[in-house]
Amino acid sequence: MKQTSITQEKQKGLSLLLSIVLVFCVFGTVVYMIARRTSQEMSESAVQNLSESLDLLECTIEAILRSEAEFQMMIAREIARAADPEAYIRTYDKNRAMAKLSLILTGKTEGVSNTGEPFTEEGLDFSSGNTVYGLPISCSYLNYMGTWSYTMKCPVERDGQRIGTLYAEYVYDAIDDSLPQEGFYNKQATLYIMDAQSQRFVLKPKGMGMRSAGHLDLDDFYRANNIQEPALRAEVASCLANGKRGLFYHDIRDVQALNYMWPVNDGSIFLVGYVPISAIQQEGQAVNQNIFLVVVSMLAAFALCIALYYRNRRQEEKLRQEQEEERRLHNQQLSEALQAARIASESKTMFLSNMSHDIRTPMNAVLGFTALLARDAENPAKVREYTRKITSSGQHLLSLINDILDVSKIESGKVELNLEPFALNDVISSVDAIIQPMARAKGQTFHLKVTGIRHEYLMGDETRINQILLNLLSNAVKYTQEKGEIWFRIIGLKQRSAQYEHIRIEVEDNGYGMTQEYLKTIFDAFTRAENSTTNKVQGTGLGMAITKSIVELMGGTIEVSSEVNKGTLFRVELELRIPEGQEDCAFWESQGISGILVVGGEEEARGSILALMENTGVRLDAVPGPEEAAGLLNSGGIYQAALLDWETGGLQAAKTLRRLLPSAVPLLLLTEGESDGMEEALRLPCTYSLTKPFFVSAFQEKLRELGANPCGECVPETGEELSGLHFLAAEDNEINAEILTELLSLEGASCEIAENGQQAVERFCQAAAGTFDGILMDVQMPVMNGHEAARAIRALEREDAARIPIIAMTANAFAEDEKAALDAGMNAHIAKPLDVEQLKKVLSQCIGRREEQ
Amino acid sequence: MKEYLSGLAKACTAFCLAVLTGLTLSSCGGQQSNLVIREENEKRVVNLFSPMEKTDPDAENVARSASDLTVRMAEKKLNVTMFYRTYTAESYQEKTYDEVVLDRVRSNMDDLYLLNPDTALILGAEGKLADLSGLSCVKNLREIVLTANTVEGKLVAIPQEVVAYGLFVNADMFRQYDLELPETPEEFLECCRVFQENGIETPVGANRWWLETFVFAQAYADLYNGGNAEGEIAALNSGAARYSDYMRPGFEFLQTLIEEGYIDAEKTLVSEAIEAEGPDFLAGKTPIVMAYWGAANTETSYGKTDFEMQVIGFPSSRGQMPVVSMTGFGVGAEAEHAEDALRVLDIMTSDEALQGYSQVNQVISPSKNIRVDCVPALRPLNARIEEGVYVLGSNAGMKVEQWGNTCLIVRELLGGATVDECMASFDALQDASLQN
Repeated sequence: MKQTSITQEKQKGLSLLLSIVLVFCVFGTVVYMIARRTSQEMSESAVQNLSESLDLLECTIEAILRSEAEFQMMIAREIARAADPEAYIRTYDKNRAMAKLSLILTGKTEGVSNTGEPFTEEGLDFSSGNTVYGLPISCSYLNYMGTWSYTMKCPVERDGQRIGTLYAEYVYDAIDDSLPQEGFYNKQATLYIMDAQSQRFVLKPKGMGMRSAGHLDLDDFYRANNIQEPALRAEVASCLANGKRGLFYHDIRDVQALNYMWPVNDGSIFLVGYVPISAIQQEGQAVNQNIFLVVVSMLAAFALCIALYYRNRRQEEKLRQEQEEERRLHNQQLSEALQAARIASESKTMFLSNMSHDIRTPMNAVLGFTALLARDAENPAKVREYTRKITSSGQHLLSLINDILDVSKIESGKVELNLEPFALNDVISSVDAIIQPMARAKGQTFHLKVTGIRHEYLMGDETRINQILLNLLSNAVKYTQEKGEIWFRIIGLKQRSAQYEHIRIEVEDNGYGMTQEYLKTIFDAFTRAENSTTNKVQGTGLGMAITKSIVELMGGTIEVSSEVNKGTLFRVELELRIPEGQEDCAFWESQGISGILVVGGEEEARGSILALMENTGVRLDAVPGPEEAAGLLNSGGIYQAALLDWETGGLQAAKTLRRLLPSAVPLLLLTEGESDGMEEALRLPCTYSLTKPFFVSAFQEKLRELGANPCGECVPETGEELSGLHFLAAEDNEINAEILTELLSLEGASCEIAENGQQAVERFCQAAAGTFDGILMDVQMPVMNGHEAARAIRALEREDAARIPIIAMTANAFAEDEKAALDAGMNAHIAKPLDVEQLKKVLSQCIGRREEQ
Repeated sequence: MKEYLSGLAKACTAFCLAVLTGLTLSSCGGQQSNLVIREENEKRVVNLFSPMEKTDPDAENVARSASDLTVRMAEKKLNVTMFYRTYTAESYQEKTYDEVVLDRVRSNMDDLYLLNPDTALILGAEGKLADLSGLSCVKNLREIVLTANTVEGKLVAIPQEVVAYGLFVNADMFRQYDLELPETPEEFLECCRVFQENGIETPVGANRWWLETFVFAQAYADLYNGGNAEGEIAALNSGAARYSDYMRPGFEFLQTLIEEGYIDAEKTLVSEAIEAEGPDFLAGKTPIVMAYWGAANTETSYGKTDFEMQVIGFPSSRGQMPVVSMTGFGVGAEAEHAEDALRVLDIMTSDEALQGYSQVNQVISPSKNIRVDCVPALRPLNARIEEGVYVLGSNAGMKVEQWGNTCLIVRELLGGATVDECMASFDALQDASLQN
């Protein structure tokens, strides 16, 4: 079908082409005929025109000759009247036309000339019989001036008696003055005047190139212009002999020309010459050229139209193909989308199935153990055991819900980063504090290493960075077998911009690893590695998708490499802005520290310490061991603090260094954790520990502690007791309210429940100052929500309204929820379900702070 | 690439449309006045009188092309138009170019004239030619040029080339008969004898114009190359020495050539230069002709031969002797456009013009600042001139005009006069000059 269509299309195109060619041919023929006819007409007209021009020249010359003859006759009459004719002649001056005037009196053979010389008729040839006005005219000859001339003779008669003959010599130059100086046919025509009898050219063109051959006489003209055809020459000779006009076509120097022989004065002289055909048909040529131009323009326009037509057709064809291609692509995309939707649907179905299973599992545990709890309520040991398991299941259920909510938020694009300055040290410490115990619980070794970081304080969303690290590290712990190893590295890369710290986070383990197929989908939501080993591990399968989304939201990259049974390496690269003015030089000055000695550790680690302390204004001397440190100290080095890497130096090095250092200079042992000999080392005077990795903020904190408590005595911890406190709690959910009441009562505290925010505000207004030690505020409540209620309370004019602690309790556990609570004037935020320990900690902090105030 | 072609096609289409639009608009637009005014340009004209070619029109005449270049230069620089007026005798019976030029100069017919040395001297002596010594080109001219063209303290003509005459020989024929190129008159006669014995009846091709070169070579070889030229010329001018004494050996030599039949005297007397002897020389029938330097470069003369041609000096007691002459341009003293003619001549003989002229024509330049390589055939002649060995064909310092008079007296010899009669003619001329 398609083939037939193409063939038809080709046939159409061929027919069109043939039609165009036919139109061209017809058009060309018509144009050619018109041009030819025009050219012929023009040629005939030009020949006519040339004849007219020559006629005009002929008349001009004849008029000159006649005027000369008349003039001569007049002179003859004057001479006849003169008393002494010869004296008259002698006084006559030559002029431009008449070169010589001579007189031979009748009966004499010699006469006189106005030149003063004797004159005879010898040398003058009047044999041709040509006359002008009846006066005989001689053949042409070179006169005494070296120029071509002719003589006319006129009888001088007195009283009817002939007394002599007047001879007047005329030069052809005078005729030349009367001919068109510019020549004719735009200087392209050549004109000679030829003496008929001698056939000498007596007047020639004078322009450039006229010295070349062909200007001597008719023979020379024939020879130079290669006019050798006997028949033609015979015809021309006949014209010359009979004094007839002759025009003939013959090439002159390879140029087509119209030659002419034009008799003047009955054939005594001839106009001879040629005009190139191109000059004759100049107008015709111009017309032809114009016709040609018009035809070419029309053809060009026609060709252009055809080209445009074909181009348009081609473009349409191209467009059609593109549309077809687009449609095909669109269909393919639709098909793929459908496929993807099916896969997503299946994935979500699977996810829901998994979730259903995962949610049901802890829920079953909760319900099951609750039933058991009811049954064994009298057995305290079992009660404790059941409640512990219920708590564990509840926490797992909570993490499931949190992840699902996170994914939901990220997918809907509602996640916003909360960029604030944070200390890298704090992030690492908090992560370390969580992961270290987890790893330790599985007997895994957790290595933490920070290198190349130049700036410790950075701008970023600390909570989200924490989330990334915890996700990666908790996964590492989860998917690594017992006794395995986990490496957590933070590496400072070369900065791309002075304003940004470029860091790489690496989390590596030697755990189960992943297959290559799974690696391809690891960052997709709702996927989870399924195998016999990992099935033991609980998880939502959303962690990596969340992690990747957050990393990308921060403008970073995440990549993973893994090998089954060998381990996995996650590599995250982030660029975090460096806040301005983070260097706190004043601290070091206030502490009186201008020099610090750094001993031991790998060279890279010492380099990191130097980099971090670079802009503090403190001089750092880093040496590999105590020996080198001794050298520095003995040579007069003064330091206000010293750092010793415990892992490379140990107790012996600590002792040596302590001995070398002045007793007031604190020695800080950099250590990864507790180890053998550490206790003994810390008993050395003025010797303390500082947890690796080294951070300036931690170091400063330590020095600050030492400054406040140089003896190193322990500060008693603040109590977190709630006993005897009375709270106002706004909680619309009865069960939650009951749980809260019970939890507080367990801690010896009491609370009064308000069902919504408005009730809470009213109750607070009614109560005397100091009735409540704090307000626990649910956020989502009917009538008035928690934020509005908090604002209303803070707006009250009571003295305690501004300072009473208000703690938000909400199931919304995101960072923005916490920020919204604080913005509403609340003091703190705790997430539901309530963690008693956290509640105690927050309450005691808020109340304690209030008491301090 | 495809995008580029597509862009190009669009640009071409746009251009074509723009051109068509432009043509359409231009054909429709424009309002013309009904009154046509043709301004008449005032043209300055200089008339140049010179000989006309009679040779093959299709052959390239290098000398004429070179001269035309200088004329065009003058036209362009001065915004004048040069009109050529020409004359060439159809036969020996007609007036010669020299006769006509004398008439025309005396009648003030033209402005600028190409003059043979003898006519230049005659007209200079008559005061018919303007003094050219004030032209800026004069400072560049060689001393020999000034000497040859100064008449009574006035520089009357300036040439565009220094014309050296020599013998044009067919070296192949000399080799064929095992002959050395002749150095002396005796060697020359011996060569002629050998050629004649070998069937070449007339070994020397001659015309009625240039036979006097043989005479000059023998007459003045010692005068110009003996170191006392000024003294000897002074003696001739005072009558202490006789021209006939100088001329006699040359005439006797010509007499021998005529008597031995080495020259066809009758034919020579009516032959024009190159026209008569040229075809036989080119055809390898005549081994020796005489001509001027430029003839070796010009296709219309001997610029293209089928044999090895060499140009040597005329035989003399001092070996091969070039005869130097000059055909110069003169300006009529009372010419209608004398001022423009002087300006034109100044440009035509400037170093710039002569450089072009000499390069095209490959001739000896009258300017001492210009040197040009010559064609191989001319090297023997050029070598002698470079050595400073040559005689002058005309010398304005001699009271008796040489070139024209000697030519005429040689024609007397050709016509049957004896050497003594010819010498008598010289004596008469000298006597006449002494009386003046």
